[in-house]
Formats: sequence, C-alpha cells, structure tokens
Amino acid sequence: MKPPVNQIREGTTKDESLGDVCPRIGVYFLHARAESSSNEYFKSMAEYASHLPDVIVVRTIEVSSAIDPAAMAIELRKKKLNTVVLAAEHPGFYKPAFSRALALAGGDGEQVRLASFGERGDGLTTDRARAVLASAVQGVPFTVDAATNCPAAASFNTATLVIGGGVAGIQAALEIAESDNKVYLVERTGTIGGRMAMFDKTFPTLDCAACILTPKMVAVSQNPNIELLVLSEVEEVAGSFGQFKVKVLKHATRVDASACVACGDCARFCPVSTASEFDMGIASRKCIFIPFPQAVPNAYMIDPTHCTWVLSDGKKCGACVKKCTKGAVHLDAQDERVELEVGNIIVATGYDVLDARRVERYGYGTYPNVLNSLEFERLTNASGPTGGKIVMKTERLNKKTKTEEWVFEPEGPKPRAVAIIHCVGSRDRNYNTYCSRVCCMYSLKFAHLVREKLPEAKCYEYYIDMRAFGKGYEEFHERVREEGVFLVRGRSASVTEREGQLYIHGEDTLGDHLVTLPVDMVLLSVGLQPSHGACELADKLGIPRDDDGWFRELNYNSDPNSTGREGIFVAGVCQGPKDIPDTVAQASAAAAQALRSIVGARTRQNSAGAPLHAIEENAGSPVRP
Amino acid sequence: MAVRANPDLIDELQGFGAKDVVKCYQCGNCSAACTHSDDPYVFPRKSMHYLQLGLEKSLRTSLDPWLCYYCGKCSDQCPRGAEPGETMMGVRRWLTAEYDFTGLARLLYRSWSAELAAVLTVALLTGAGFLSFGFLRGGGNLSVYDGPGAFLPIHAIHFFDWTMGIILGALLSINCLRMWHFTMRSEHTAPIPLSLYLRHLLLLPLHFFTQKRFRHCENKTPWATHLVLMLSYLTMLTLIMVFLRDMQSGPEVNWYAHSFGYLSAIGLVTTSILAVHGRLKKDAAYHRHSHESDWMFLGLLLFVSITGIVQHILHRFGFPMAANITYIVHLMGVVPMLVLEVPFSKWSHLAYRPLAIYFAQLQLAAQAEGKVPLGTPAKPQPVA
Repeated sequence: MKPPVNQIREGTTKDESLGDVCPRIGVYFLHARAESSSNEYFKSMAEYASHLPDVIVVRTIEVSSAIDPAAMAIELRKKKLNTVVLAAEHPGFYKPAFSRALALAGGDGEQVRLASFGERGDGLTTDRARAVLASAVQGVPFTVDAATNCPAAASFNTATLVIGGGVAGIQAALEIAESDNKVYLVERTGTIGGRMAMFDKTFPTLDCAACILTPKMVAVSQNPNIELLVLSEVEEVAGSFGQFKVKVLKHATRVDASACVACGDCARFCPVSTASEFDMGIASRKCIFIPFPQAVPNAYMIDPTHCTWVLSDGKKCGACVKKCTKGAVHLDAQDERVELEVGNIIVATGYDVLDARRVERYGYGTYPNVLNSLEFERLTNASGPTGGKIVMKTERLNKKTKTEEWVFEPEGPKPRAVAIIHCVGSRDRNYNTYCSRVCCMYSLKFAHLVREKLPEAKCYEYYIDMRAFGKGYEEFHERVREEGVFLVRGRSASVTEREGQLYIHGEDTLGDHLVTLPVDMVLLSVGLQPSHGACELADKLGIPRDDDGWFRELNYNSDPNSTGREGIFVAGVCQGPKDIPDTVAQASAAAAQALRSIVGARTRQNSAGAPLHAIEENAGSPVRP
Repeated sequence: MAVRANPDLIDELQGFGAKDVVKCYQCGNCSAACTHSDDPYVFPRKSMHYLQLGLEKSLRTSLDPWLCYYCGKCSDQCPRGAEPGETMMGVRRWLTAEYDFTGLARLLYRSWSAELAAVLTVALLTGAGFLSFGFLRGGGNLSVYDGPGAFLPIHAIHFFDWTMGIILGALLSINCLRMWHFTMRSEHTAPIPLSLYLRHLLLLPLHFFTQKRFRHCENKTPWATHLVLMLSYLTMLTLIMVFLRDMQSGPEVNWYAHSFGYLSAIGLVTTSILAVHGRLKKDAAYHRHSHESDWMFLGLLLFVSITGIVQHILHRFGFPMAANITYIVHLMGVVPMLVLEVPFSKWSHLAYRPLAIYFAQLQLAAQAEGKVPLGTPAKPQPVA
C-alpha cells in the first residue's frame, strides 16, 4: 500500500530527524538488467561503499523501468536519509526522480550526488571507481589526486620523454615544450625528421613535405625546453607514471655539434663512401656525413662501422680531424649513458617498409629498375640523387671496386612506361594481413609525379581496391585518373625481365584478360610494418602490442592514445598505419593527454587536492554544505 | 540477356569441397600466377567469381576447370587463403555431377555414407555373384585356379570384363555427350563445323596418353606421379582386357606378359602410397584438402593393387584355393572401383580433361579462322 503523496509531504515538512546536522547517506547502485554480468563488480563496490563514513544504506537497484519517487521517498524516510549518492555508468538520468523523492521525504532535493563512472574515465578500474565513489559520498569534487595510483603532486615529474623524432615525435615535443614544459626527444638516427623528411610531396594537396616539416624541425632545435638526443636509444625504463627513470644509450656522433658549422670540408676529404640511409641506398655518402642539408641537429657525424680511423683503432686516416678548422671532430669520443627522469612518455617510433625482397615474384633486388616506394620518394625528390629527375638506373663501372654497378644518374634514360603495384605485402595472409592505409594514395601521388615530370611516359597502376577515403582523397584520385594514368584492377602476379625489358604480368579482372605489359620501371607500393626494435621497446616500456605488432591503444574508440600503462602514450604510425594528417593529430592528442597530468601536477603543487585515503577517512574534505 | 543467378550455388559447392570461395576478393593474382591460364580461358578467378555471384550457367558451360591441373601455385600465392586450386577441384566434382545424367554422381559426392554404401553393395554383389557363378557354372572347385575346371574360368572373366567395359563406356559416353552439349552448344559458343572437329581429333589421344599440358605446371612432380599412375593403370587394364590368358595361367611366370604387370603394379602401389602420404602430411597445396571421394579412390586403388599382387603371389607359389579367394576379394574391389569411379566419380576425368582441351582448341581454332567469334551469342537474343 502506497500512501498518497500529499500525506507524506504533510507529515514530513518539519522533521527534526532529517535535520542538516549529520549527513545520513544512501548509496544506490543503478544498473540495467542487461548489465547483470557486472554484478560481481557492483557487489565489491557496494561492499566498499558500506564502509565509507556516514553511509547508512547501500542498495543495488535494477532500473528496468522508471523509478517511482513516492515509493523511494518512503524508503528514504524510513532510513532517515538526507543525502543520496547515485552510482552508475551514467547516473544523471535518474537524478530528477531521486531529487523529487528526497524532497517528498522532507529533505533537501539538492542533496543528490552523482558517482558517474562513465564520465570519469575507466569505469572498471577499481581504484579510480572507488575514488569517484568516495568523492561523491563526501561531496568533494573528483580530482585526479583522488585516484590512489596518481603519485603525490610533489613527486610528479613534469618532464616528458618523446621516443622517436619523426613528424609525430616533433609535433608532440613541440606541443609540450611550447607550453613551457621540459621535453627529452630521443631519436635513433642522426637527425630528426623521420620518414616525412624523405618525401617529396604530400598527398592529396601536393604540398612540399620539406616545406612543412623543416620549420618544425628548426623549431625543435631552437626551443630551449627541448633536449634533443640523436643517435640515442632507450635502454631501460623503470619507475611508474609521474616518476619514470629512463636509461638512454647515447652513441657518440664523434663531432661536437655545438662547434660544427656544417661547412662540409671534412666530408670532401673523407676517403670512404657508403650507401646513404637517408636516400634509401640509391645514393652514396661519405663516412663523415650529415644525413641531409637541413638535418637537425645541423652537424656532421661519423659512421663508426665504416670509418677507417675507428676500424684501425686510430692508426690510419684521421683526415677529417686535420681538415676541420673548428676542431669539432673528436674521433675518440665514447658512447655514453644518460639517465632521464620524466613523468610521461610518448612513443612515436613510426614504421619501416616491408622488405620487398620477401615478395620474390616482383624481382625486387634482382632487377635494377624495380624500386620500392621510399626509393622512388628519394628519386623524385628535388634533393635526391638526380635532383628530382625520374630516370632509370644505368650500369656504371665503379673505379674503386672495379665492378659494374647500377646507379641513378641525372642524365640517365627516362622510363617510357612505369607500373605501380599496390598492396605489396599488404592485405595478404602470406605477409601482412592488414591494409597499410597510405599506399593507395601515395601510389596515386607517384602516378601524378610521373605524369607531371614525364608527360610522354605511360603510367599504370595495378590495384585491388582503391582506398581514397580521406578528405580530398577521392578528388585527388579523380584528378590523377584524368591526368591520363591507366588503372588496372588486378593484382599483378609477377615481374620478369627479358632482354633488358621488364614485363609485368597480371589479370585485368574487369575485362577478364591476362595482360603482359612491357614497362621500364616498376614501383612497389610496399606496406608499412612496425619499426625494427619496436618489439624490444614494447618490452622495455611494458606496453602491449597487437597481433600485427603495432602498439596497442587502451581503447580503440575512446582512448586511442593511451597504452596499457599509465603515463605512456602512443602517437603516429607506431600505433597503426596512418597518413600525415592523422599522425600529426594523434601526436597533438597524445601531447594533450600528457599535458593533462603535467598541468594537474602543477596545479596541485599550488593547491593540494585530497588523496583518496583522506576522503575515505572523512578528513580534509574542503567542501561541506 | 541478363543472366539469372542462383544464390545457393556457393552453398551447394561447399558439399563438393569448394569451402573457402567466400574469402576471395577478386584480385586476380591466381589467374596471373597460373601457367595454364591464358586468354580466353582465364581462371581460376573467373570461376571463383561465378561461384560468388551464383552464375550457375556460366560455370556449367565453362571449360576452365578442366584446364586446371591443381599444381597449387594459385593457392600458395592467394593473399586471402581462398584456396582457388581447391575451388577448381570442387567445381570439377560439381561438373562431373552436372554432366552425369543419372544423378548418381551428385549423390556419391554429396554423401559420404551413400558412397560407402554404394561401394559395399557393389562389392558384396560382386562377391556373391562370382561365388555363385563359380559354384554353379564354373568348376565348382575352389582349389582349381586356372586351366580346365577353374573356379573362375578365363573366358567367363573375359566376357564379364568386356560387358562391364562396354556398359561403363556407354555411360561415360553419354556423360561426355552432355559435357559437349553444355560447353560447345551453349548460347555463347556458335556451332563449330565438323571439319574442325575431325582436323583436331588427334588431340584427344595425344593429351590422353601424354598429359603434356600437365607438364607446363611449374611443379613437375605431380605431373610425373600422375603420368606413372595413369600409364601403370592403362598397362594393367590392357593386360587384363586383352592378355588375361597369359596373365592368369601359371603357376610359372610368363615374363613377356608379367614383366609389364610387375612394372605397372610397382607404379600403381608407389604412386598411390605417395598420394596417401602426401594427403596425410598435407605439405603441398594440392594435398592440403581431401574430399571423401579422394580417400575412397585411393583406398580402392591400394586395395585392388595389393589384393592383385597377393593373388598373383599365392598362385605362383602354389596356393590355388587361397589365390581363388583372394581373386574374388580382388574383384570385390575392382568392380566397385570401376563401376562407381569411371562414369560417376573421380575417374571420369580421364575423358573430360582431354575432351576439354580438345574443345578449347576447337573454339580457339574456330576463332582464329574467323568463322566463329568467341563469346558472341550464336543466335541473336530476343530483347525482353
């Protein structure tokens, strides 16, 4: 029997027992019937809630239908409750009903507090959920400090380590450094810039990649908050969120970067030449070298694996030392280990391209004019070995080794027909099953560049499915088609060479024909795969990787930057293949997440929030009605 | 005219062993990788496409599946694991069922228990038939193997052989005629003049005996194994059908006939053991998937070869009664193998494959002579 509403109101308007003197709290866990799987979780949380101070009633309510305020009011009255805490993923929906019930029971309708697990992040992380609940029970605002796993503000290190100096690492480092926080940028090679620095143009806007990236690189070098460590690798990561201790092995560049003015005298006299990593091996560099003229730091370095002086233990050569007028070359410099203390880590280790030799039938590594995508990027790049001219490799006698070798020369023959094969090693269970996402678009960009630079040349794209999904991509696809690029729907099966002519054999699946096409150059759109060493780095960092080897994000949809370990974020391709705009966006997002804790720590250093144990003990809670 | 699709085709083909077609994303790598695939017979992707869309008629009128020898290169390179090679195998089984006018082939392929029951029934009937014949019309004496009073006299076996041969030949011929009707008389292939049929007739024995197309596969081992198996079987068949008298008399060894017999016995046993071993080990693409009919075929072949050898040995070493019993057991394997496999199952490909090569050559020749443009309908189609 429910008493009529007006009766309750009349009987309870002035009741001493519901006075404001002492809070009597009822904690109500609301869950839908479908959520019965989380019953265990609710049970443990209810147990926890019952031990909080002033909590009189803890109940779990299955909210299958609307809550009847009148019936609820009777219960509140019976237990003499004057405060209600609603705990659920999203309890706000039920607040009006409970407000009314409180008012009906003669209490203050405003005393309904929400413990919203859904809005405070991970609802199933018990520590965090407890903090949310305890804060609501005590009527204090929920802060990050309340979660016990957050270190005390005083010991929180506001410096950040960024691993990887590609466009993602640069972006993240700049975001954090420009908000006046310390950043250590660790890069494995001799310069920052990463893969993007190798590119000629970006799709679909055909902007010059260097024109976008170099200013950012310079900004990194000029920002006093950024400490750049090149030729460096993370060796060990200890500690936890807020107090990471990272050991970094810093290989000696053997050239004092602060003294070097990059005049290049040393390289002119260096007798040893080897393949340039930055040019993907299609051009050579000296043993004392600068990866490319705009490199940051803008200084020369020694390649100790080829240097005559290093290999002979200082007995031979040393030409660079003698030629350097600044005395910047120190061939005997040693590697050193540095220990960094940081609060957050952003991982942006990028990718490697698939080794096209694995797909034997395309003849990469056997036929000189079968190139992978990064090699073509360097070939068509104005700063590349041919000054951006698209030419074929020609055979030339190497005077030193007395052997014939295939090289690109600016005046080499121009290809009359170029074929581009999509999905090399991607979407293929024999190699990588995933789609590398960028290949369709960069292939279209290649086709555009071929047609633009060599209007006489035919260009064929062998594709399976054309994935032009981004903003402006479809328009770019249409544009390239209109530029006279022929698209063949079919994955080609093989590339062969007969009498110096390459033949590409494949099925034109739209016409049911087998086509053998003579071409002069074949470009392989190789897929992306995690950068070498990513596996070891994941072990050092203690973060999980997914089946394909990319670093696994905490939640694909709602938390794509966080990893399984708090304080470690991922940005860019190392989390999964993506193009430059997405990479930059994710890098900024990762920086924002790192900044959240940094700013939080800074704020707390000024006005300390209460940690969970203080809230639980009903002490130090500043807000009291 | 629009082609009417049969959405259930892909499910039906699953029963014939084509299980992974759904994974195919039509990249065409298989067609380009295949050494046999060439315009206008481009496969296996096109057949996979027919299956995915349920283009039953296109599949039925296609010669492509018979031009494939299942070397497995397509399956090895397939980026999706769609097993194009096994799909073609499944389509060949389905085509065998389509060509067969009795409907028995479909039943045997689709149901393992039906196949087992059929083999057992024929085996038991054979056994009962020969036993009763031996007791009623033969010498009635199980301990006489050959010569006068033999339990199973040579002339009777000869008569039985030839009768069975003619009946099975007739059944297979009807199925071949149906194949011709489907593939050469479809609306997409205009009639080919008789002169062309005659001019290229020699292709049939050529491809039947040499299997030279099979040799074009990159991997030569399957071709060699298959050729040895086929030639061994053919030799044995000739010996039994024509030289039974020399084969069965004894107990001394007639080297001029038996040496051939020994060679072919070695060939049969070796190749079938190799095939069983390969299918168990699943190391090559063409052995990865085994349909029940494959096991039945290999099982019967091994059974027949071994009982034949045992019977021969028993006879030579003077155990006529044991030899006679083994002989009947041997026949209980031979008869079901021939009766069920030749017109209705795996062995029918001995006719279909050379025929398909022959037909394809005819179509190409007709096209080359400009008489019949390939792919154009023979009759103008009415506009609906």
